[in-house]
Amino acid sequence: MTSHFFWNGGPVAFRSGETIAAALLRAGITDLGRPSATPGGRVFCGIGACQGCVIAVAGAAPVEACLTPAREGLRLGPLPAIGAEHA
Amino acid sequence: MREAPILVVGAGPAGASAAATIAEAGLPVLLIEQRDQLGGAIHRQPAAGNEEHVWRPARHRRNWAALTARLQASAERIEIRTETIFLGVDSEGRFLFDDRHEACVFARRPRAAIIAVGAIETIRPFPGWELPGVMTAGGAQVLLKETGRPPEGPILLAGGGPLLPALAAQLAKAGNPPVAVLERGRPWNAPAALARLALSWAPMSEAAAYAAALAASRVPYRCGAVVTQAEPDGDGLKVSIRVGETQEPLLVRHLLIHDGIAPNRTGIPLPDPDGAVPILLAGDGREALGADAAILDGRRAAMQVLARLGHAERGAPSDERGLQRARDFQATLARALQAEPIVPPPETLICRCEGRSHADLAALAPDASAREIRLMGRFGLGACQGRFCGPMIAALRGQPLPTASPPRWPLRPVSVAALARLTIDETE
Amino acid sequence: MKPTRFGPSLYGTNRFGMASSSPLHVAVIGTGIVGASAAHFLAAAGARVTLLDASGPAAGATGASDGAVSVASKRPGPMMDLARHARAFYVRCEQDGLFRGLFHRRSTFLVARTAIEADLVAQHGADLAAAGERVVEVDRAALLDRIPGLGASVCAALEIPDDGHALGYEITERLLATSRASIRRNAPVSEIVMRAGRACGVAVRNEFLPADAVLVAAGIGSAPLLGLGEILIPRKGQMAVTDRASVAGPAIDGHLMAASYLAAKRGIVRDNSHIGLVIDPLMTGQFLIGGSREDHRSDHSTDAATIAAILREALDLYPPLAARRVLRSFAGVRTASRDGLPIVGLHPHYAGVVIATGFEGDGICLGPFMGANAARLLLGERPEADLSALSPQRFARVEAHA
Repeated sequence: MTSHFFWNGGPVAFRSGETIAAALLRAGITDLGRPSATPGGRVFCGIGACQGCVIAVAGAAPVEACLTPAREGLRLGPLPAIGAEHA
Repeated sequence: MREAPILVVGAGPAGASAAATIAEAGLPVLLIEQRDQLGGAIHRQPAAGNEEHVWRPARHRRNWAALTARLQASAERIEIRTETIFLGVDSEGRFLFDDRHEACVFARRPRAAIIAVGAIETIRPFPGWELPGVMTAGGAQVLLKETGRPPEGPILLAGGGPLLPALAAQLAKAGNPPVAVLERGRPWNAPAALARLALSWAPMSEAAAYAAALAASRVPYRCGAVVTQAEPDGDGLKVSIRVGETQEPLLVRHLLIHDGIAPNRTGIPLPDPDGAVPILLAGDGREALGADAAILDGRRAAMQVLARLGHAERGAPSDERGLQRARDFQATLARALQAEPIVPPPETLICRCEGRSHADLAALAPDASAREIRLMGRFGLGACQGRFCGPMIAALRGQPLPTASPPRWPLRPVSVAALARLTIDETE
Repeated sequence: MKPTRFGPSLYGTNRFGMASSSPLHVAVIGTGIVGASAAHFLAAAGARVTLLDASGPAAGATGASDGAVSVASKRPGPMMDLARHARAFYVRCEQDGLFRGLFHRRSTFLVARTAIEADLVAQHGADLAAAGERVVEVDRAALLDRIPGLGASVCAALEIPDDGHALGYEITERLLATSRASIRRNAPVSEIVMRAGRACGVAVRNEFLPADAVLVAAGIGSAPLLGLGEILIPRKGQMAVTDRASVAGPAIDGHLMAASYLAAKRGIVRDNSHIGLVIDPLMTGQFLIGGSREDHRSDHSTDAATIAAILREALDLYPPLAARRVLRSFAGVRTASRDGLPIVGLHPHYAGVVIATGFEGDGICLGPFMGANAARLLLGERPEADLSALSPQRFARVEAHA
C-alpha cells in the first residue's frame, strides 16, 4: 500500500487495481464537492452510469471515479476545474 | 482483409456467455468491457492485494469460473478491449468506442452486435437522495467486492428487493453490519406469492443463508418501512424513516438505496435482429432476470446471431425454459414486494445532473414534447443523459420519457481530445 | 417604439378586408422562435392566435442551434443591416423586461489562423464598420488576456463588442409563456385552405381549423405547404455540447468565430463537408461547438468523422477544450433559400398568407424581430425596417420568367 494519488492536493493511498472511488471511500472522502447550483459530486451507482462521481483530472478530461483505476501521481479534484489552470 | 468480428459489449455474465458461445462456433469476437477486468458488476473481482473475497453463494463463483475457462479456451478468437466504453452507433453505422487507456475513440464495423450492458438500479426519489453519503446498494456492493472492506460508520439500507438483505449479509460478514434494512414492501401480505417463491430452490436457499447471516449479526429487517428524507448532519446523514404511521430519525454515515433493477437501455441502439448488421440485446440489459438467467440469455443471443449468419449448427440450443423460470420468479418476487408509489414532495430533486426538482417537472405542459422536456425542463440533458431521471420521470408522469430516435451517440460523455483523435478502420 | 405596442387598426378594417367585430384569428404554423414571436406580438395587439406545430415548441432549428445574436457573422448588405435592427430589438426586449435574464451582451471574436484568413477577417471588419458596427482590432497579446489558452495558430482577431447571446428555445418559451396564444402540439398542418383566393383556415390531419389569416413559419416544413420545394434547401449542421468548464456563467469572455465560418457565410466556400467553426460559451458554463454545413440534408443524425473534424478544429483554436467531455452530439436543420436571403412577406398569390422562413443559420438573431414584423404585416401595418429584399415576390418573378 505505497501508491498515492492526490485529491485536492492531499495524498490518498490506493492498492494496485483499485478504482479511484474505492480509494476515496476508504479515505473517508464521500463528498466529491461541486461548488455550484447542482448537487455535490459523490459515488452513487458504481457502474459509470449516473456520472455523479465524475472528477477533474489535471491535464486531461474528467473521469468517473468508479470506473477508473487509480494510478500513481494522478492529480484529482472536484468538478468543474478547468484543465488549463491545472496543467 | 481480416474477417469482421461479432461485437459483444459488456463482459458480465451475459456478454461473456455470448462471446464464448460465438468463439466456440469458430467466429471472431470483439469483446468490449468498460472496466479493467472482465466480470461486470456481479462478478467484480477484488483488486490485487485485496484478498478478502466477499461472501456469496458458491454457485456464482462456479459460474464465473466456468465462463472464464470458456473464454480462455477460445482466447485466440476473442479480441478483448478493457477500459473501453461503448459510445453508440453513428449515422454511418460505425460502432464507436472510447478507449480510456489509449485516450482515443475508435470505430469498427462488426458483422453483428450483441449488447449486454446490464441493468440500472431503480431509484424512488426522496428529498436528500442526491447527497454525498447516499449510494445505490448495487454501487456499494461493487466497491465491497473490489476492496473486500465495507465502508466505515453506521450504514442504513433502504428501498425494496432482494439485493438489500444480500448486501446487508455481505456487509455483516465483512465486519460492518448495517444498522437496519428497510424494505418498502410487506411480503407477509402476499402469502400466495411467498409460497410460490419458496418453490425456487436456488434463490431461496441463497435468501435463507442471507437471513441467517442477518439474524446472527442482529440486523433488523423491517418491512413496510421507507426513507422519507435525508439531510446532511456533520460528516453523516440524518435520515427520516416512516414505518406505518410513525416517523423516526436515524443518524448514519452511509445510506444505501435500491428499488430493483431495470434494463440499461438509455442511448443503447434499438434491437434489430434482422438488420444488415444484426443488433441484439442480452442479459439484464434486455430483461432484468438476474445473473443466472443472463448466462442463458447471452447464449440465446449468440445462437440467434449464429443462425442469422448461417452457422446454426455450431451450437447447442438455447435454454428457453430456464429463462421462463427466471421470468416467473422475478414476477412473483415483484408481487411479493409490491409497494404503492409515493409521490415525492415538490422540492425533491429529480435530475441530479442539472439540479431539477419535482416542482420543475410538474411545471411542464402535460403534453410537452421530448424537446421541451429536455431543453426547457432541462431533464435528461445532463451528464447521465437521463439514465436515472428518465425512469423517475416516467413513473411520475405516468408515461415514458420521450427519447431521441434513433438514439444519439455518445451514449456516455467522452473526452473532446479522445474523440478528436478518432481512428476509423474502414477496411473491414 | 416599444415592441409590444401596435397601431389601433386591429378592430377596424384590416388589410384582409374583414370589417370585424370579433378579433382577428391567426393560425401560426410553426412554434419556432419566429412563430412564437409573431404569436406573442399578435396576441399582445389583441388578435386571437392558434399556434400549430408538427411536434412542439422549439422542436426544429430553434432548439438545435448556437445562441449567437450576432451581427458579426452576417453577409454585407441587407442581412447585416437587418441583423443590426434585430439585435437592437433584443436589447429593447431585454430592457422592457420581455427577454430579461435571457439576452446578454457578449463580444464576438472573429479569429484568423492564416494570412489568407486574416485578410478575410480584415475585409469583413471593414464591411461591418461601413454598416455602422463598432469593430475593435485585437492583437494576439490582448486576445490572450481576454481568452487565456487560445491556440498558437491564432494570428489576428477582431472584436465585435455589441453582439449578444440568447438561446432560441429559452426565448421561444418566454415569448409563449407571456402571450395568450393557444398552442397545439403534434398538430401537423397538411394544407392551407383557400376560398376565393384568400386563406380561410388550415387543415390539421382531417380537421379544418378556420382562421382569418395564416403565418407560415415552419422552417423546412414550409416548403410542402407553399410549394417552395425548389426554393427552400435544408442545410444540416452537426454540433457538439460539452460539460461545464465553469461553475456559473460563460467559461470564456466571448463567442469565438473562426474565419472559416465567415468564408461559408460570405459564399466563398461551397463544399458540402465544410466546417464553419464557432465556439459558443453557454451561460451554463458549457461549450457549444459547431458546425458542419451539409446542403440537402434534413436528417438529425450525426456521424463520428464530422464531429471529430469539428473538434479537431476547435482544439486547434482553443486547446483548453482538451479538458472537456462531449455530452451530446446533435444536428439542426437550417432552412436556406436559393439566394441565401430569408423569405419574409405577403404571399405573392394567396391573400391572407404571410411567410417568414429561410433564415438559415440566422434565425436566433433575426427571429424575434422578424416574428414581430410578420405580426405587423398580418395586422396591416408597415414593418419596422425595410424588408423588401426578403420579399417572397422575388421568387414569384423568377418563376414567371422561367
